[in-house]
Amino acid sequence: MAPNAGYVIAGYLVTALALGGYTLRLFARARAAKRRSETIAGRRRDG
Amino acid sequence: MAATAERALGKATSRSGEHLLGVATLVALGVSAVLSLVVAPPDAVQGEVQRIMYVHVPAAWLAYLSFFVVFIASIAYLKTKKTRWDRVAAASAEIGVLFTSLAIVLGMLWGKPVWGTWWTWDPRLTTTAVLLLIYVAYLAIRRVTDNPSRRARWAAVIGIVGFIDVPIVHLSVVWWRSLHQGPTVFRLGGPEIEGTMLLALLVGVAAFTITYAYLMTLRLRVGRLEERAAREALSPLVGAER
Repeated sequence: MAPNAGYVIAGYLVTALALGGYTLRLFARARAAKRRSETIAGRRRDG
Repeated sequence: MAATAERALGKATSRSGEHLLGVATLVALGVSAVLSLVVAPPDAVQGEVQRIMYVHVPAAWLAYLSFFVVFIASIAYLKTKKTRWDRVAAASAEIGVLFTSLAIVLGMLWGKPVWGTWWTWDPRLTTTAVLLLIYVAYLAIRRVTDNPSRRARWAAVIGIVGFIDVPIVHLSVVWWRSLHQGPTVFRLGGPEIEGTMLLALLVGVAAFTITYAYLMTLRLRVGRLEERAAREALSPLVGAER
């Protein structure tokens, strides 16, 4: 392995984790907000 | 002009636009990774570790772009008082903080083998750390008040004033003696970089820009959904009418 290749691997890994992790977090936030809205609407329907 | 921008925003944030951008993001990042890790030659002086540049520089440029969008959207909000602009500014600030943090971490990973240290209080590094703090404060301020119009107004002022640091960060390597290298692409006399390396760098910037557009569409949708949930929770009467 080339000298200092570990830093390059770490750099690209950090980039993938940051961008991928943030994307997944946004999907989770969207799902949670939608669920919250549906729960409130459901409670209102049920009186 | 504001109406045209709003129409373009509406198209980009539709679900089909979002899916299309998602696919384009994956393809662009894949092409960029191949160009920067396989096609581009290693640096004559630094060797393989210089390949961090192909993600470090795009992350830094996208941080600038994100905060520029915050700046423009903040002005638009103060002028029109339309919530949509506040939502755009908040989304772009969050993504800008992500890219700034990424640029700093990648810079540290590059700095350790080349400079012999993870961090030094160099003008470029210090002004970038200040930039990160400004926009973390921007996001924190948004959580201080529950009043939407007051929150948007305070945030817009920080979004405009905070942008002053962006040109300072960019020109810090020209104004002060710095350990960080000077401009390589945007400089008098043209870019000072080998052709394939320049191509890999520009493709990296393009890929990160598409990624930014994709993250913006997702974050704007999240913003709309979270606002709707909060509105419904706070106002049962309004919610019941829907």
